[in-house]
Amino acid sequence: MISHAPILAILLPLFAAFLMPVIGILSRRRGIKRAREWFAIAVVLAEFAVVASMLPAVWGGQVLVYQLGGWQPPWGVNLAIDGLNLLVALIVAGIGTLVMIYSFVYMERDTGLDQYYTLFLLIVAGMMGVALTGDIFNLYVFFEIMCISSYALVAFRRKWQSIEASIKYMIVSSLGTSFILLGIALLYGLVGSLNIADLAQKLGQVSPSAVIVPLALFVTGLGIKIAVVPLHMWMPDAYQAAPSAVAALFSGATATVGIYAMVRVVYTLFGAFAIGIMLAALGLVTMVIGALMALAQRDLKRLLAYSGISQVGYVLLGIGLGTVLGIQGGLFHLFNNAIYKTMLFMIAGAIIYRVGTSNMDQLGGLWKNMPVTATLFVVGALAISGVPPFNGFASKWMIYVAGIEAGQPVFTIIALITSALTLAYFLKALNSIFLGQRPKHLSDVKETPLPMMFPIMLLAVLCVVFGVLPQLGIDIVRPAQEAVMNSGGYISAVLGGA
Amino acid sequence: MISESVLFGRGFWGPIIATAAMLLIAAVGGLILLGGRRLTKAKPSAGKLKTYACGEELEASDIHADSEQFFSPIRRVFRPFYRYIRPAHSGDLSTYLFWVVVGLIIILISIALVIGVG
Repeated sequence: MISHAPILAILLPLFAAFLMPVIGILSRRRGIKRAREWFAIAVVLAEFAVVASMLPAVWGGQVLVYQLGGWQPPWGVNLAIDGLNLLVALIVAGIGTLVMIYSFVYMERDTGLDQYYTLFLLIVAGMMGVALTGDIFNLYVFFEIMCISSYALVAFRRKWQSIEASIKYMIVSSLGTSFILLGIALLYGLVGSLNIADLAQKLGQVSPSAVIVPLALFVTGLGIKIAVVPLHMWMPDAYQAAPSAVAALFSGATATVGIYAMVRVVYTLFGAFAIGIMLAALGLVTMVIGALMALAQRDLKRLLAYSGISQVGYVLLGIGLGTVLGIQGGLFHLFNNAIYKTMLFMIAGAIIYRVGTSNMDQLGGLWKNMPVTATLFVVGALAISGVPPFNGFASKWMIYVAGIEAGQPVFTIIALITSALTLAYFLKALNSIFLGQRPKHLSDVKETPLPMMFPIMLLAVLCVVFGVLPQLGIDIVRPAQEAVMNSGGYISAVLGGA
Repeated sequence: MISESVLFGRGFWGPIIATAAMLLIAAVGGLILLGGRRLTKAKPSAGKLKTYACGEELEASDIHADSEQFFSPIRRVFRPFYRYIRPAHSGDLSTYLFWVVVGLIIILISIALVIGVG
């Protein structure tokens, strides 16, 4: 492991974000083209290496505890890394790297890119902080860093629609973070600690009725972040208005971080496995409403946003079932969703880059112009619909079986029907964009540029690899599932003899 | 053990074998298609390429399926659902905030019920 890897994973993008304007000024003065893009890519690649360096220790069963300033928990702030948050950090670093490579060409027509890369690195730092911290107040602070950067990124193109979406997102999301902060205040008042492990230990001795309000505040606040129905309305507006690279990052990484926080808070902090059934029910409603709303969309990015909401429902269903198989399936689906949802948003961005719109009524017949992009879209669509041999099938299958094994066959039937709906709206998108008659003004459309195609292709390969070799994916998420089910190990590793 | 039981324990699902079988079937399908094309060569003519629309002349771009029409029968089945759910997605911020409050109340009551029962 790289020494000080846990803190480096947060500080690297954070310092790089503040360096970015300087790099931008220097590159313009010295006439070095693309210096800031190469710098940003180098930072996220280094970030990925730092996170990957922690894998052997954590997958070997260790919980890495990094004490800031040498203060022992619960007195000092610490970073605590187990299988669960390392999986999330890996997804954040991986998706961040691929989206950064994609942005290289996708964002080239925009101005103000110093700000774009600064905000991008800040959001990565925020996500990494949420994932790795062992302190609940720090989790809130990093959430705010992540969210404030995302409001600015949604409004990045400063069009009327994007500014409106950003303001709505900011107001609804701020309400969510206020709920989280209020929940933290109530917990602190209750047991006098902010360390997650210490809180978890002390909350075990508190009357269950005392935790109802803080738990509800946390679940609602985090539910807004991950767009659980009925707290989801901000998401389609924000994803449609944001640049596609940003939407890809949000759907792949930010949503993953939100779900991580939900799992960490509900299962580790509160030890509330009993409310798993409520999470599963929320997941069911979310998956069905997300899918039915996606079916009615005319805009590809809006369709993908609703589809993302629906897929979060699957994850919550699996995790909410609370069984080994359910949690493993839910986490595997979280991992897979990050892959194909990022890929599909990148494809939407490639279409916008070439055609200038994501309105499906103005598209058609693009298979002739963009055959590789169309093929990759088919891979992503089949993967997200849970069609074998792609990765979505393996994780959805695990969730279906987990539902039956948990004595909830109705959940499985609803999940199966929703998968059919998913396939239906992706067939509609495929038909509207790539098949049928091509409007005359689209006859000169060119294929996606190679630097944008590369991350999409890589993600498509992962869709196939984790579908054909699902055991590989299951092996990756198993340490995370074990961490979810063994919160005692996390607590004792952090607190030691305290 | 768990993952094996999922993938192989109940019935049989061998992803590699299944993928190979799908590729094989796709190859056979492709061969049949190629064979068919060789037997009956396509002879497109202007008349054949025209879309039949009760005698009306239509441009190719006019016959693109509107996304609103796609799966309209399915959406007709869910019409009552859309009638209630669409107004909630109006883009109006006060509606969004109203649903956040409703969500908080639902979650609070659900947790109280679950923890209370537990």
